[in-house]
Amino acid sequence: MLLVLVLLVPAGAAVAANAGFAPVEPESPNAEAINDSYAWVAIFTGAIFLLVQGSLLWFIYRYRRGRRPRGEDGAQVHGNTNLELAWTIAPVLILVAIGSFVFYKLPDIKDIPSASAAGGEPVEVTVKGYRFYWQYTYPNGVIAMDRMRAPVDRNVSLAITAPEFDVIHSWWIPALGGKFDAIPGETNESWFRAERAGVYRGQCAEFCGIQHAVMTAEVEAVPGDEFDEWLESEAEAQEAGESDLGEQTYAAACAKCHGLAGQGDIGPPLAGSALAADPELAEEIVRNGRGEMPPIGQDWEERQMAALTEYLQEGLGSGG
Amino acid sequence: MAVRVETVPRWYHGRFASWFVTVDHKRIGILYIATAGFFFLCAGVMALLMRTQLAQADMSVVEQDGYNQLFTVHGTMMVFLVVVPILAGFGNFLVPLMIGARDMAFPRLNAMSYWLYLFGGLVLLFSFFADQGAPQAGWTSYPPFSVYTDGPGQDLLILSLHILTVSSLAGAINFIVTIHNMRTRGMSWTRLPLFVWSIEVYAALLLLVLPALSAGLTLLLLDRQFDTGFFVPTDGGSPVLYQHVFWFFGHPEVYIMILPAMGIISEVIPVFARKPIFGYKAIAFSTVAIGFYSLLVWAHHMFTVGMPNFLNGFFMVSSMIIAVPTGVKIFNWLATLWRGNLHFDTAMLFSLGFLSTFTIGGLSGIFLAAFPIDWQVHDTYYVVAHFHYVLFGGSILAILAGLFYWWPKMFGRMLGERLGKWSFWFIFVGFNLTFFPQHMLGLLGMPRRVYTYREDGLWEGYNLASSIGSYVMGIGILLVVWNIWRSRKGRRAGNDPWLADTLEWFTTSPPPPHNFDRVPYVTSARPLYDLRRRLKERGAL
Repeated sequence: MLLVLVLLVPAGAAVAANAGFAPVEPESPNAEAINDSYAWVAIFTGAIFLLVQGSLLWFIYRYRRGRRPRGEDGAQVHGNTNLELAWTIAPVLILVAIGSFVFYKLPDIKDIPSASAAGGEPVEVTVKGYRFYWQYTYPNGVIAMDRMRAPVDRNVSLAITAPEFDVIHSWWIPALGGKFDAIPGETNESWFRAERAGVYRGQCAEFCGIQHAVMTAEVEAVPGDEFDEWLESEAEAQEAGESDLGEQTYAAACAKCHGLAGQGDIGPPLAGSALAADPELAEEIVRNGRGEMPPIGQDWEERQMAALTEYLQEGLGSGG
Repeated sequence: MAVRVETVPRWYHGRFASWFVTVDHKRIGILYIATAGFFFLCAGVMALLMRTQLAQADMSVVEQDGYNQLFTVHGTMMVFLVVVPILAGFGNFLVPLMIGARDMAFPRLNAMSYWLYLFGGLVLLFSFFADQGAPQAGWTSYPPFSVYTDGPGQDLLILSLHILTVSSLAGAINFIVTIHNMRTRGMSWTRLPLFVWSIEVYAALLLLVLPALSAGLTLLLLDRQFDTGFFVPTDGGSPVLYQHVFWFFGHPEVYIMILPAMGIISEVIPVFARKPIFGYKAIAFSTVAIGFYSLLVWAHHMFTVGMPNFLNGFFMVSSMIIAVPTGVKIFNWLATLWRGNLHFDTAMLFSLGFLSTFTIGGLSGIFLAAFPIDWQVHDTYYVVAHFHYVLFGGSILAILAGLFYWWPKMFGRMLGERLGKWSFWFIFVGFNLTFFPQHMLGLLGMPRRVYTYREDGLWEGYNLASSIGSYVMGIGILLVVWNIWRSRKGRRAGNDPWLADTLEWFTTSPPPPHNFDRVPYVTSARPLYDLRRRLKERGAL
């Protein structure tokens, strides 16, 4: 009997997790520790749920009026001090148990493992939220947009922020841990260690404006050596202006309002426009915004701006 | 004492005009409830539009900014124009009657509160017609986004809330003065109806926290109009400061919206269980305790802004402490059912529904209070599910219970029971179908305040279920409206159709302008029960 239960609970939990009865399947130690806390709280709240709903249903059945005359008195009971004490103290104890467990698990969730622990020296990535895209900067200066590449089984530490001229966003990849706000001018720290290669999806969680709903984020976890190789070659390519940074930038920063082919959406079409053909005009608008368009690239580095304007000229300026 | 007889122009007594010039607490209460009912239907239509947009991925029922306007006004309207004022309406109608008073302490001030509420509400509603539409920064209006939005919509929201704040402050003072000074003979604090207790705490909380909202919104307005930069990082301001100010108001506001609803439940359940309330003092004290602790929990709305963990920990513990007095209430209501003679009239059905759904909302709150778990579910549909379970499953179900329970007292006619029961089942089933799947959506990663979502089997399934549920609920609400319309010719109620316990049932239905010809001496929390017993002993009943 006990064995069946022991087997059933994880099986049930797995099914439930996939159907949304628990946070998504964790793929990082911090997310796992959050799920453990969730399960712990669920035990107690589940029991209270059954107790309250069960007694509610039982009382409704047991003490229904039935054939008793309308208005006939029920038992004239005014209260019971011992019961009051019991249902005050029992919840206190339960909450102590929940709170203690949360504090016990907290270091596993919050603290970035030290360099000597599993996962080794962390890869430091700056995560910046803009309207309506994410920009990642690696220690060697490599820039990526919306999709972050990360090594499997290595700690990745995140400095989450937003440029001063922007609004608040919130960085969140459910399988890789909790969310933290990207607040203009402030920096929050988080981390993850992806346990498997794959693409983990998420999106901005703090309402940030008209295209908040499509401000997606992805983490692509790749094997460690592959990551190292990519980071090095990407740095050279971006230095030389031969990377796909322009295309990435367009897809992340421009396409959500102007369409992937520059056909226009909530923003005017860019394909064939004067702006696409004129790098100076494009830079002026990207840096300062125009009309309802926010200054999406006010603080971009020259090479990113150059990559974008070049892409606009080649890909869109020539008619798409 | 000289009696001054005021003469008023004849038109004051007109069938419609009399409602415009009235200072009678009962009529003002009814005006509050009717106006809030109107805004409730408006906000409901907005909700249905949003659910239609989200029924499937990539729908285009409304545009992006249209969607943002809808959820902003829906939220603001439900909080400030529906739940808070409809509870003020019940308070207005009931408090003087329940404590055996002639009227509120300041009848003219009372009328002023109502008219300010109406005009403040219309400012918000008509913001849809402003240049570039209604406000679209969410009901929380977080800067810097709310500073950068174009058009006057956001300014109209601030203006509207300033007007409503003046209205609520005046109303709160009126309630407190009335409750403290105008209780009838024998109505001590331990004999005060529990609904009146809840209005006392509701009013005290409004007085304590509304000034914080006014301050925050005024700074926001200055930032928008005069570039003062209090909350704008480029000018050295702090956006997180606004969040602290807002939630210092915003969290107690949640209890402002639920405590009087709990008060309604504490009145309805004993009457339909034919028992005294179990643990009167425990319930009254827990009301005060919840009010007090509600002032200490605000930053649990801000676990993701990066506060130090000792602060996160403090707000987790204080938030969990609130679960204790809330649990005390739920257990006492359950114990009131125990060994009762349960009558399942519509008011009771809504109350039992409240017990079930509010418990779910309370339990999901424990997950949210544990801040590492909140890092996963914050700002997702899980939170949307949670607060609808406490505000719709809690406040609105209780308000509907109160409507069915006190309607006969307000208008002298009963609402239809058969239709009422149908409306309960539509609303209860529809509500759970709408909001339960939203827990799952949030855990699966769907953020709130999105006008569309990616195609993904489960997301689409749960969203569709949620949208279908919202229509079922909508039918239930329409049945209530129809019931109200039909009640013009409903069964006559008599003074006390439910054989209830509190003083409002001692007078006629509807009560005369002066409320009571005489008020019985109050010897317990159930004066009418005592009266019936005395009459029975004398063989008169």
